[in-house]
Amino acid sequence: MKLETRVTETATVVILSGEVDLRHSPSLRKALMELMLEKRPVAVDLSKVEYIDSSGIAGLVEAYQMARKNGTRFALAAISDPVRRVLQLARLDRVFTIADTVEAALGG
Amino acid sequence: MPSPLPETDSASHLDLIVEMTGDFAHSHDVEATLRLGLERIAQRVGAEAASLFLIDEDSGDLVCRANMGPVDVIGLRLAPGTGIVGRTIDLGVPQLVRDTRRDPDFAGAIDAATGFETLSILCAPMAVRGARLGAIELFNKKGGGAFSQTDSRLLQALAASSALALINTRLVADMAEQQGLKRELELASEIQRAMLPGPQPEDSPIHGINLPARGVSGDFFEIIPLPDGRLAFAVGDVSGKGMNASLLMTKTASLFRCLVKREAGPGAILAAINSELLETRMPGMFVTMAAGLFDPASGRAVLAIAGHEPPLLLKDGVFTPIEGEMPPLGIAVELFAGGCPESVVELDGGSLYLFTDGLTEARPRQDAMLESEGARALILNFAAMPAGKRLEAMVRSLDDSGGLLDDITLMVIEDRRDHPPSSEGRTLFERRYPARPEELAAIRAAVSGTARAMGCGESMAGDVVLAVDEACQNIIRHAYRGAEGDIVLRLDREDDRLVIRLMDFAPAVDVAKIQPRPLDEVRPGGLGTHLMRSIMDHVDFLPPPAGIGNLLQMVKRIDPT
Repeated sequence: MKLETRVTETATVVILSGEVDLRHSPSLRKALMELMLEKRPVAVDLSKVEYIDSSGIAGLVEAYQMARKNGTRFALAAISDPVRRVLQLARLDRVFTIADTVEAALGG
Repeated sequence: MPSPLPETDSASHLDLIVEMTGDFAHSHDVEATLRLGLERIAQRVGAEAASLFLIDEDSGDLVCRANMGPVDVIGLRLAPGTGIVGRTIDLGVPQLVRDTRRDPDFAGAIDAATGFETLSILCAPMAVRGARLGAIELFNKKGGGAFSQTDSRLLQALAASSALALINTRLVADMAEQQGLKRELELASEIQRAMLPGPQPEDSPIHGINLPARGVSGDFFEIIPLPDGRLAFAVGDVSGKGMNASLLMTKTASLFRCLVKREAGPGAILAAINSELLETRMPGMFVTMAAGLFDPASGRAVLAIAGHEPPLLLKDGVFTPIEGEMPPLGIAVELFAGGCPESVVELDGGSLYLFTDGLTEARPRQDAMLESEGARALILNFAAMPAGKRLEAMVRSLDDSGGLLDDITLMVIEDRRDHPPSSEGRTLFERRYPARPEELAAIRAAVSGTARAMGCGESMAGDVVLAVDEACQNIIRHAYRGAEGDIVLRLDREDDRLVIRLMDFAPAVDVAKIQPRPLDEVRPGGLGTHLMRSIMDHVDFLPPPAGIGNLLQMVKRIDPT
């Protein structure tokens, strides 16, 4: 797993890539939690994620819950097929805000 | 001749009250006792005639139940509130009418019909703790004149004690009736037990057991050997409980025994039972039933199911429910006009379990297990015992836990052939991994490669990889809890199914604690088990072969698309 952040004037974009499994999900969770403390809008680009498991999804759910509490925007963007499949199985595809592009995730 | 007692000596009337109470206590004939009591009262107060009216519990009418005097009015029925007796009951206090001609409530029609001339009336209510039973009415003071206030107080006391005695008599009668009913119920229960098959010889391929939750059962089972070596079997459950249910159960079981000799197969038997049940309607009652024929020589069972709990086939540690699409029997003739479909089940060395919903509704201990999971766990718990003892132990474990809400009937059919043809199965992959997150990528690669090699399509392979990954995570996090340990991963192909077994050597996992979370609950964690169950056809914990650790088995039919 690789995690990059790009800070724009109005928001933070997290770009995840590779395989998000139990080995890496603790660092994903830590990074997202720290980011949520800044209370800025966040979009997570998942287009390059080849694999994600329930522990990775759990990190995203926790960030989503924190954003809701803070009243800030948290959206998933350009999700890859493996991510879409897990979100479907977990019935979370209608919980998250999911946009086709990072721009739409932050704009809409 | 004895004259009426001095009016001041009311204590001396106690003897009469005591006598009457004694009469009631010793008599089983309420009518006779009422009549005797009324005669004693009329004599003591000094009345020419007397009547005792009781309120009819159904209509509220006042009915004359005892009578003394020149005319017989027993059975006379008055509408509520009619006459002096009606007024006495309504007001709840004695009514003294010195001159009937001056009382507008006096019902002169009765005198006109009987020829008796009523001059004065004394009437007192019979009531106990506010419950109105009726009234005692006296007519015409002997020797002329009217009844006195003292007579009124005496009658009031006598009427009250009569009421108490009557209530007691009724309670005793109710108790006797209940005792009688209880005896009948016990008898019915005995007859019913005698009708069910007894314990089968241990080498019988079919065993059954029934445990009624109360005296009589609405459940039944049948095991009938046929001349050609096959065995007919059935498990049924009648809607409702108690006597009606048990009568319908008796009828259905008799029909099965009778029709099994006549009809060609279980589908035809169930359709015929449906028609027969509807010949005589029992509104609102129906029967769910699973019936079949088992051939011990081939290990093949032919099953027909009408609205019944799906029987479970347990083969190589995997449960397969045998679903039926037909409704219960006894609802409408048309429903089975097209017959009842049959399923052919190859036991293939496995066992077929039939049961009533008492099994799935009973809660084994405090586990918050899902219903079908509970039944499966129960079956696996006792799988190692011989069939006859196994069923007994299973049922007893439910009864001991106090979870028995409904009758339980359980049946097992086993393929006892020495060498059942083994299913086309082969191990495709087996390897031991350290239980560490760093190993997960390698495990995923192995599962992905093996699944594709055996013909799984792209999407199935991806899903199965996720299921195995989640199962391994559970072992790492919940079984070993971060401690060192190994995971043995094995993939087999059995017929058209991919069978994945994951074995660990950690302390046994409490299955109830790793149930999937409710789907409407959005929270991190708890997702893994849900994903496994969503992806795989079956996810079951099996008894580990070494007796330690945990063995998780996941099965999915191979989808090449």
